[in-house]
Amino acid sequence: MKKHEGLNCDDCVEHLYTYLDGELTGETESDVRVHIEGCGDCFGHFEFERTFLRFLEARAKAQCAPEPLRRRIFKEVLLDNGSEAE
Amino acid sequence: MTITVDEQRRAFEQEALPHLDTLYRVALRLTSDPSRAEDLVQDAMLKALRSWEQYQPGTNLRAWLLTILRNTFINDYRREKARGPTVDLADAETFRLFDEVGDRDPEGRFFDQIVDDEVLRAIDQLPEEFRETLVLSDVEGLPYQEISTITKVPVGTVKSRLFRARRALQSKLYDYAVEMGYIKKNPE
Ligand SMILES: [Zn+2]
Repeated sequence: MKKHEGLNCDDCVEHLYTYLDGELTGETESDVRVHIEGCGDCFGHFEFERTFLRFLEARAKAQCAPEPLRRRIFKEVLLDNGSEAE
Repeated sequence: MTITVDEQRRAFEQEALPHLDTLYRVALRLTSDPSRAEDLVQDAMLKALRSWEQYQPGTNLRAWLLTILRNTFINDYRREKARGPTVDLADAETFRLFDEVGDRDPEGRFFDQIVDDEVLRAIDQLPEEFRETLVLSDVEGLPYQEISTITKVPVGTVKSRLFRARRALQSKLYDYAVEMGYIKKNPE
């Protein structure tokens, strides 16, 4: 027999980032999910943090490897690697 | 069974090169210098190609490449005192952006006004181990376990570094947004 009392808001927010990172599993994951679905405060808080993380990724991921670096890798790593001499 | 150098290069080109953007972005945050970041990536790629036989197909190539990049950084590129001031994480620890702005801007609209460079600058001010963890997680999307393997600390440490890094970043970006007038300071 399993006692299932659910989470209070503080317990729920404890798991905020692990939940948003997709790292919660099993019962804890479902407890958090159920709590958020029924609690406006926590729902708002989680959505706010989710927005923050998306914003962070969008801003910091805009850079790509520059074309000259790509060319250098091809020329100096892929083509010249045969010679072990430094 | 031996594979030819050509085959090895072809495999490297097809499998490792797609990770170039990730390697470059991580290198950039580690070195804070575009030209050193390029040198670091090139060195790491060269090492990876030369030790390609040690890579076991089917295992996590991204983690393998990032580990090589990180070791190369630590051995050859890290400059202890060369960085600018880092934020004091102890101060930022208790900060929660949602508590400051949640009632006024519950959807985080003011984020839209904060540009790329400012976010990158804030990340660069985090102490190295926090910066590296945050970039691997929040920018490159790696799971805790993979970050733990690369940075050689337990998953619990990854979690706590991530938590503190995010708090510190929120605090930093909030101060900036207030200063720029994107959002008003909370009257307490
Ligand atoms: Zn709640």
